[in-house]
Amino acid sequence: MTVKTIFDAVIVFDEARVQAQTQIELDAGTDVNTILNDGLISAMDEVGELFSAGDIFVPEMLMAAEAMKAGLKILKPHLAEGQSRSKGTVIIGTVKGDLHDIGKNLVSMMMEGAGFEVIDLGVDVAGETFVETAAEKNAQVIALSALLTTTMPSMENTIKAVKEAGLETRIIIGGAPVTQVFADQIGADGFSADAPGAVKLVKQLLT
Amino acid sequence: MFNRALINFDTSILEQIHSRSLELLSDSGIRFFSEKAVDVFRSRGFRISGQTVFFEEKDIADALQTVPPKFTIKARNPDKNICIGGGDYMMAPGYGPPFIIETSGEKRNATLKDVHTFCRLVQTSEYLDFNSSIVVQPNDVATQTAHLDILLATILLTDKPLMGSSSSEIAARDSLKLAERIWGNSNDPVMISLVDSLSPLQYSEESLDSLMLYAASGQPVIIHSSCSLGSTGPITIAGSLVISNATTLAGICLSQLIRPGTPIVYGLGGSPTEMRTGGYVNASPEDAKHTAIVTALGRFYGIPCRSQGALTESFCLDYQAGMESAMMMTTAALSGADVSLHTCGTYGSMLAMSFEKFIADEDLCGALKKLMKPVEFSEDAFAMDLIKELGTSGNYLMQRHTMKRCRTEFYEPALNTRAIHARWQQLELRDMDKRAGKVLENRLSAYEKPDIDPHLERDLEKFVEGRKVS
Repeated sequence: MTVKTIFDAVIVFDEARVQAQTQIELDAGTDVNTILNDGLISAMDEVGELFSAGDIFVPEMLMAAEAMKAGLKILKPHLAEGQSRSKGTVIIGTVKGDLHDIGKNLVSMMMEGAGFEVIDLGVDVAGETFVETAAEKNAQVIALSALLTTTMPSMENTIKAVKEAGLETRIIIGGAPVTQVFADQIGADGFSADAPGAVKLVKQLLT
Repeated sequence: MFNRALINFDTSILEQIHSRSLELLSDSGIRFFSEKAVDVFRSRGFRISGQTVFFEEKDIADALQTVPPKFTIKARNPDKNICIGGGDYMMAPGYGPPFIIETSGEKRNATLKDVHTFCRLVQTSEYLDFNSSIVVQPNDVATQTAHLDILLATILLTDKPLMGSSSSEIAARDSLKLAERIWGNSNDPVMISLVDSLSPLQYSEESLDSLMLYAASGQPVIIHSSCSLGSTGPITIAGSLVISNATTLAGICLSQLIRPGTPIVYGLGGSPTEMRTGGYVNASPEDAKHTAIVTALGRFYGIPCRSQGALTESFCLDYQAGMESAMMMTTAALSGADVSLHTCGTYGSMLAMSFEKFIADEDLCGALKKLMKPVEFSEDAFAMDLIKELGTSGNYLMQRHTMKRCRTEFYEPALNTRAIHARWQQLELRDMDKRAGKVLENRLSAYEKPDIDPHLERDLEKFVEGRKVS
């Protein structure tokens, strides 16, 4: 029940309180997985819901994620080998020729908050880089972002490169000019119009 | 207390924005994602670190000195040449949207046919002064050569001034080559282009390479920097102004190093970040404030300026679309903007165009052009003799003075209803979308393709065909 205080502290993005409460729970011998799942991760799920409902704003969500990570940092040394927090690995990046990263960063942050391991390749990322990283990290999902109509073809090229490399990594796409129709056209496994939707999409794809 | 005089605000604020911009240019510098651009600065002895170039006060002062205060862009029809910086407000339609929103609310990909339709509307528009180079981004032609399809259509279907493409160096080169076929090899302005910076404090390679090509050919460029307040720039207007002003000044400096005297339109904007989504929104009072302040900065620098156009976040012809578009355009018009893109047809964050919104926005443009026109104070306009003649009991409807002016004195909206309620109730077309649809139909059926030398037409088509094959 006291894990609830960690949950509550994440929701109000109180980083210091998350740290302090996480330490208190650890010292009290509370199960590490309970702290992780019922305290930190479920709080970020709730933050995601509040965000989707428009009740909290982006900067507040970012701060909640920071608070969550601060708690996780304290927890990490106590997580046993193989007791990974990760629900899966997501490689994310803005495609070749495109330098826009706000939407991509939001998705990245929300995925992390939802418990995925996120490897953010940044902007202007070549298809080969996605392929190499996905293979090396054994990623389950590649998430591609583009803001420009002129760089949308890079998404198609990246998908081709992934398929040619024989990887079975699922690929999702997003960005202001991107649509479900375009996603279907280029053979993406999914499309989301916003960041919370992207998290839900990945959860669906991986079940 | 409200500020009722956005336009005439304190010069010391402008000086502060300028000096703080210089501070940023010297301390943070601007990142240029083009080696060619960095080389230009390097050859002139600028301080450089990687791709970041640092500017001193004198660099900016020198550049500002050579920018012309006004210039004329030739149109294919010389009667339609436009002078930018001469006191008039020049308007172009939407720029860049990949989608069309239909009256049903459905969103679909834009096509080349839509480009053609918009060209016909621009050509028949009483109020639009020049074309856009991407009135929409057509989805049914190859992305790499779409600029050629759009430019060719614009040249053939209209005889108003053009915008050159700045989507890549190749696109800019193609634009110049097409123009050369019409006007020959001269450095007279025959098109204008838009170079957008990235925020914060950067320029992309495509933008820079286009800017340098256009500048070298003496072609005017709108250099525009803007940020999303609270995401790609500071959340405050003051911070946004400094960051975008510094970026625009750096672009102007590059243009003048390439070719002193390159005509420039100074552009700066800022839109709030929608804090619920992190998305870009526009058409807010914050946008409108930028729109007003950019005109003051333009005058401060002695450079023509660009403000935002009839922007809206709405997706249909509702009160929101009208209210937001009118707020943006009225602010621009009354603040003294020289140029606006997006003045007709734009919906939702500039991501979609609508034919019906285009028609509705034209009414707004027309009303504003009328509003900006000075009131006539001639002898005839005072009508003293007539007033005295009729005295305290006259009817002016029956007078020659009224008759002479009854078709020209007032602004005549094409779309807005002015009927009495009983009449309006009977109207088949009570819905604005439908009224706009009717006007649209009439406009397109009345369209006539402007004259062009058939040899030139063939030559332009052959050039485009050749480029598409290569």
